[in-house]
Amino acid sequence: MNPLIEVVDLSYSYRAGSGNEVAALKKVNMKVFEGEILAITGRNGSGKSTLARHFNCLLTPVSGSVDIDGLSVSDKTNVASIRRQVGMVFQNPDNQLVSSIVEEDIAFGPENLGLPAEEIRERVNWTLKTLNLKNLQYESLNQLSEGQKQLVAIAGVLAMKPRCIVLDEPTAHLDPRSRREVISNALKLNRDEGITIVLLTHFMEEVTRCDRMLVMDMGEIKMEGTPKEVFDDEEKILSLGLDFPVSAKLADGLRKKGISIPRKTIHAEELITSLCQLK
Amino acid sequence: MELTKNITLGVYLPGETYIHNLDPRTKIIAAAILITLLLFIKSYLAYAIFLFLIIAILVIATIPPGYAFSGLKPMLPILVLMWLFQLFLYSTPDAEVIVSWWIFSATDAGLHMGNLISMRVLFLFTVTTILTLTTSIVSLTDGLESLLNPLKKIGLPSQELVMTMIIALRFVLILAEELDKIIKAQMARGVAFDRGNFIQKTKSLFPVFLPLFINAFKRAEELIVAMEARSYTGGKGRTKMKTLHMGRVDLFAGLFILLFSALIIYVILIVPPVI
Repeated sequence: MNPLIEVVDLSYSYRAGSGNEVAALKKVNMKVFEGEILAITGRNGSGKSTLARHFNCLLTPVSGSVDIDGLSVSDKTNVASIRRQVGMVFQNPDNQLVSSIVEEDIAFGPENLGLPAEEIRERVNWTLKTLNLKNLQYESLNQLSEGQKQLVAIAGVLAMKPRCIVLDEPTAHLDPRSRREVISNALKLNRDEGITIVLLTHFMEEVTRCDRMLVMDMGEIKMEGTPKEVFDDEEKILSLGLDFPVSAKLADGLRKKGISIPRKTIHAEELITSLCQLK
Repeated sequence: MELTKNITLGVYLPGETYIHNLDPRTKIIAAAILITLLLFIKSYLAYAIFLFLIIAILVIATIPPGYAFSGLKPMLPILVLMWLFQLFLYSTPDAEVIVSWWIFSATDAGLHMGNLISMRVLFLFTVTTILTLTTSIVSLTDGLESLLNPLKKIGLPSQELVMTMIIALRFVLILAEELDKIIKAQMARGVAFDRGNFIQKTKSLFPVFLPLFINAFKRAEELIVAMEARSYTGGKGRTKMKTLHMGRVDLFAGLFILLFSALIIYVILIVPPVI
């Protein structure tokens, strides 16, 4: 697998050069591979949003480099083509939707790309179909639930046909059910359309559904690996202010009671399987 | 204080009539022509002809008259007041006094002036209401954008202006809901909005509007970032999904409005004004 996003020695500070600057990222090195689902987690202010905003040219590195498929984000002439490749979905759907009607909002991105009208129409229809939003096509956004609005926000990014979608805590405002729906749809886009997904989240259940995860703290990457590997280091996870997925906690509790559940059990399905195999 | 309930913006009455299906540009221009004509009408006959047109449009667009005029209710007291003002205060040297009471006296000139002005306001209101009842906000803004497009040459940022309008329309309800939330939160903390004299009441609005403004700015900032992330760089190089098409119906409607204008202008020139 080749890296779609490559971050080398990236440092970033807010209010750089003003005397009271705040270092948000310190010499971060990481890669996002084409076609994977990467979770980035860490407590508030750990720098994960700052990192993610470099992927879409919303921020440019103070030092170090960020390359999207070989294109440097520091070069202003690359901005347009990078934004076509990497789309971004934010936390609050109300503050990222532009138009009042669902299909109009989905068309906003493609319209910005200057595509011909028929192509925009085609993309909007494709997007509505892919995310099962056909029944909401002409709905007013004010009538939708938060979860539906967030799906429309994802649709708006999907219509630009990006190679990678960065989701910045897309489920923070949602109820558990819409949370699952939003995440399942993001995973479906990865599976069916091959879109690389970078998911920033506080929810460990969402992290376990990803291929790989990063844990950030104080502007640095502290842990990296598959969710199974990362959640195995209990002390470090706790020291970074994180929690475990429910299944992992349950497995741990059972293990302490003397029931033999294998280590690195983080998925509910795994736990169920091992419980069923008990005599 | 349920503010959100009272906001009916873009009172669009969906339908599939000839009027609904007209190109928004045709409707906007027609409304502009009718409004201009109204400013010059000074005879009852012309108003009567105008009334026929309005009734015809309401019938074709299948708008229930009660619905069309329901928005008039809050305006009614002002309308009556205006009529009374004209009745008692307007006069010409050769006017005949019809009623006299205390220091007030109403002349026939005042009566006519009151009638004309009230009718003008009424018709202006009806024309714009018909426009918004039969045209959705989205097609209105589309039409407006297309009509303002030629002005880009003289430096008017028409696309950006219309984009601002679209966003404003989206946020009216969101901000109204937020205002409602803030009011309730401040009431829970003991701010009494309904107590005290005028000055105290005005002062109690500060803890409401300050957070509202701060939040509005925060939202604006987030929205800018999100729009940028979706490749928005201003109106330049942008295309539209929906392109507007003028059809035969629009041609017919345009011709009809021109003929009607000619008739009204003829009446204005021939029939002497009532005052």
